Amino acid sequence: MARSLSSLIIKGVAGYPAAHSSRIPTNKVESSGLSLKEIVEQDVKENPVMLYMKGVPEFPQCGFSSLAVRVLSHYNVPISARNILEDPELKSAVKAFSHWPTFPQIFIKGEFIGGSDIILNMHQNGELKEKLKDLSANQKSE
Amino acid sequence: MGVTKEQVESTLTSKLNPSHLEVIDTSGGCGASFAIEIVSEQFEGKRLLERHRLVNAALEEEMKQIHALSIKKAVTPEQWKQQQESEKSNPAA
Repeated sequence: MARSLSSLIIKGVAGYPAAHSSRIPTNKVESSGLSLKEIVEQDVKENPVMLYMKGVPEFPQCGFSSLAVRVLSHYNVPISARNILEDPELKSAVKAFSHWPTFPQIFIKGEFIGGSDIILNMHQNGELKEKLKDLSANQKSE
Repeated sequence: MGVTKEQVESTLTSKLNPSHLEVIDTSGGCGASFAIEIVSEQFEGKRLLERHRLVNAALEEEMKQIHALSIKKAVTPEQWKQQQESEKSNPAA
């Protein structure tokens, strides 16, 4: 009883199941030989849920980024993230790619979804569940 | 520094002609972050993403100085009316 309670608390603080997030190290950006625009294109193509945020999922450095992580963590889907605070050039490239001025920015299956207000709204009205349905199903069957 | 609530209101009023607009400075008067509720006919037939894009585009100049913009509501007059009515019919008794 005590153990399950403490694990709940830890989960509550971290806000998402750790096993389901992957942080793409930003240094990969420099060594890959791709342009930043190509990196972003590749990110959103290869990662079903791609998050550009301030900080990392384990430690968001902005309330809005934290909100986005918390919302997505409800769905048991793998979350990939890049920390735009580590790389101002990547930050500009993402903004230019999506034509969106702020962070976080969320992409699902290659589609630009929006920022934290939009993801929260979609969470509340059920659209997000619909969008992530196949991804969370895959996750369970593995 | 930053942008005033009045500037944000006047820009949104002139560009999106809202029938209802509420701008709250969430940075305690610093003009660094705002929360917005906006009702405009220009949102008709547009998805939430496109509505947010309209607001972002209207505030393009201001966004250079605003750190965070939270668009709490971006609805059409029709949706706004429905929301107001459903709130009235569920009074917090």
